[in-house]
Amino acid sequence: MAKKLSAGSMASLIGAAALIFASIKFPWWGMKFFAPQYPEGLDIIVYPSTLDGDIDIVNGLNHYIGMAEFSNESFPELQYLPGLIIGLAVIFIIIALLRRKSLLFVPVGLLVVGGALGIYDMNRWLTKFGTELDPKAPIELEPFVPPIIGENILANFVTHSYFTTGSFLLGAAFLLTLLPFWLERRK
Amino acid sequence: MKKWVPAASGLLAGFMAATVFFADFSTGPKGTASNDNNANKSNAEKVYVPYGELDEYYMLSSGGHSGQLFVYGLPSMRKIRTVPVFSPDPATGYGFDTKTKEMLGGYTWGDFHHPAISETNGEYDGKFVFANDVANNRIGVVDLSNFHTADIMEMPNMGGPHAGTFVTQNTEYIVMPTRFSVPIGKEYAPLDEFEEKYKGVVSMVTFDQEKKKLDMSYQIMLPPWSYDLSDAGKKVSGDWIVMTTYNTEFATTNNEINASQNDRDYIVLLNWKELEKKVAAGEYEEVNGAKMIDPRKHKGSIYAVPVAKSPHGVDVTPDGTRFIASGKLAPLMTVFSFEKAFEAIKSGDFETEKFGIPVLPYDKIVEREVDPPGALGPLHTQFDDRGNAYNTMFISSEIVKWKIDTGEILDRTPVHYSPGHSTATEGDTASPDGKWIVSLNKIAKDNFLSVGPSHPESMELIDISGDKMSLTYTAPVDPEPHYAQTIHRDKIKTIKIYEKDEKREHSVWKQEDTRIERKGNEVHVYGIAMRSKFVFDAKAKRPDEIKVNQGDKVIIHLTNIDLDQDITHGFGIMDHDLNYEVQPGQTSTIEFTAEKAGTFPIYCTNFCSALHQEMSGYLLVEPK
Repeated sequence: MAKKLSAGSMASLIGAAALIFASIKFPWWGMKFFAPQYPEGLDIIVYPSTLDGDIDIVNGLNHYIGMAEFSNESFPELQYLPGLIIGLAVIFIIIALLRRKSLLFVPVGLLVVGGALGIYDMNRWLTKFGTELDPKAPIELEPFVPPIIGENILANFVTHSYFTTGSFLLGAAFLLTLLPFWLERRK
Repeated sequence: MKKWVPAASGLLAGFMAATVFFADFSTGPKGTASNDNNANKSNAEKVYVPYGELDEYYMLSSGGHSGQLFVYGLPSMRKIRTVPVFSPDPATGYGFDTKTKEMLGGYTWGDFHHPAISETNGEYDGKFVFANDVANNRIGVVDLSNFHTADIMEMPNMGGPHAGTFVTQNTEYIVMPTRFSVPIGKEYAPLDEFEEKYKGVVSMVTFDQEKKKLDMSYQIMLPPWSYDLSDAGKKVSGDWIVMTTYNTEFATTNNEINASQNDRDYIVLLNWKELEKKVAAGEYEEVNGAKMIDPRKHKGSIYAVPVAKSPHGVDVTPDGTRFIASGKLAPLMTVFSFEKAFEAIKSGDFETEKFGIPVLPYDKIVEREVDPPGALGPLHTQFDDRGNAYNTMFISSEIVKWKIDTGEILDRTPVHYSPGHSTATEGDTASPDGKWIVSLNKIAKDNFLSVGPSHPESMELIDISGDKMSLTYTAPVDPEPHYAQTIHRDKIKTIKIYEKDEKREHSVWKQEDTRIERKGNEVHVYGIAMRSKFVFDAKAKRPDEIKVNQGDKVIIHLTNIDLDQDITHGFGIMDHDLNYEVQPGQTSTIEFTAEKAGTFPIYCTNFCSALHQEMSGYLLVEPK
């Protein structure tokens, strides 16, 4: 039984690396807020390296409930996340080039662990922002934790949080890292 | 019981039932009123713009001596906005903040007559609208990206720019002819010297669209006639301007009689392209800061066309081949041919000369006279997309539709009452839409709930899309509309907020950068407004306090850092006659001298949020 990975498996891993790399340029997660005064909706869009959308407007509104300000500085992850992603893609390429079957578990493991950590981290932030409200805020509110995915109602706002393009690319990369296990099944 | 009783009662019951179910209880034959009622139902549907939908046209209407621009939506006729141009407006702080106060130049009113939308190739381009102030010899321009007045310029040597504003087909010039002739520089001269000393001057104004700045290019010196209205040519006639005149009699008193004596007055034809060349070649005199050219000394640039006495409006047809004059005192419309006029000019075929101006032979350039029976007081002409003209009839209170090519009268509809101008959708362009015309009526006796002796003026919406005109809706209006232009909504591109320009002079974008600086006895405040607070000095114990000494000059720069649609903040200081606004992303400045010692609340005057009421601060003026 050949120890080397097939060309198909290599291609699959390199493809996964490419998708991971590409995801840096796309938003990963977002939140959209609707209220009677904002029928067009307000956006928070999270890229691995930056926040986008109506951040200033959302901050302006959040000060009424005493929520801390969102900014690129308030999330240190945004500083090193692109580096981590590039590192991850490089590891995938190295494994593909090494062509060792036993290393196939590394990409899957990294993605599973990375994904779990990412979701844990997001939940940590959502909890922090939603529960550590300024007690002197003009509007007093019960602490709340917006969901990572799904709908939530807060005062006059209906929020929808969702994963988007970048996350889907990561999902596709995950599938590509699983593909070699099937390709190599008879060897 | 007799046998006939059940039979008779049966018959009776039968008739009763038949009557109840089938009889027509209406009294007499149906009149037209009930038909009108049906018509009104469909009219209601025509003007109804349901929630979530927008009007199809902007109607930019002059506000007359209110000095304002009224913005209406068509077909709903809903008033959307009042834009202050020549008058201060406490609601928006126009004329109170430093920039607009300077722009108004100390005047508190102006007489806004004829709005003219900027044009490209003879089509409204929706970028700017120009306006004349007949009272104070000014021209104003409103930026249609934000509906704010962008610039105002006072013009020398003029006596009321009534016969404007009209733009040449690519907005090369905004033309403003004088209504009341005056001596140059308004110097003293007895009225006995009217003919020699008084002049009717035409201003040729340019507008720099980038810098949003008006400039006087040159002025044209003409005889002291009264120039009533004007229009610019299009296409073949693109280099020309036409103007009506009255008082060719040179009357100086009781003009009602004395300026109405001559059987013929003149339409003046000016070639602005020729004059432009002459001015560029230095053939002008410097008069009170303006380059003044006398076209009578420069052959080829001015001609006069005789026209039935005291004409009012003159309008160029959409294709630019003809101009139509309406006789205020002679009840007919005269169609003149530009091509025939050009031929006469080319062959030097002149009837006579008046005041050094060659007069073209009336008979050779007139195409036809149109005289609808009983129609009196024709004033202005508008156009549709099917070769028809629409004339307002001031005295007989109607609009007459007629075919330009044949003069055939196609339709007439009464209006209520005494229409001055009218505005058709895209009506002054090279391609009118032919959907609606609005009659701008001077009188509206008994049409609306009474508000005392002064009745509102009115505007009537008429559907002109079919063969017959159909009076559709009427709306009252504040005094007093003169003219309007109606432009398709797609041509106007408004901004939603002002761009965050960190380099803008006096702007502050972060709370921590706010500060109050003292320079001698001047106090400069660099503050921000945001929901729901003012911050004048972030490092102070109370960031929303402005403390000055009695007699200090106070300059407050305020930036609205809420870059959110529709979040405008106001800034009013109690007992100081001061209020101004800052729109999202805007920086505005006011200046005043703190003459009164004391404690004066400051508050947000433009409703901004749930905590608007709390958006306040204090001006403390320490006594000397």
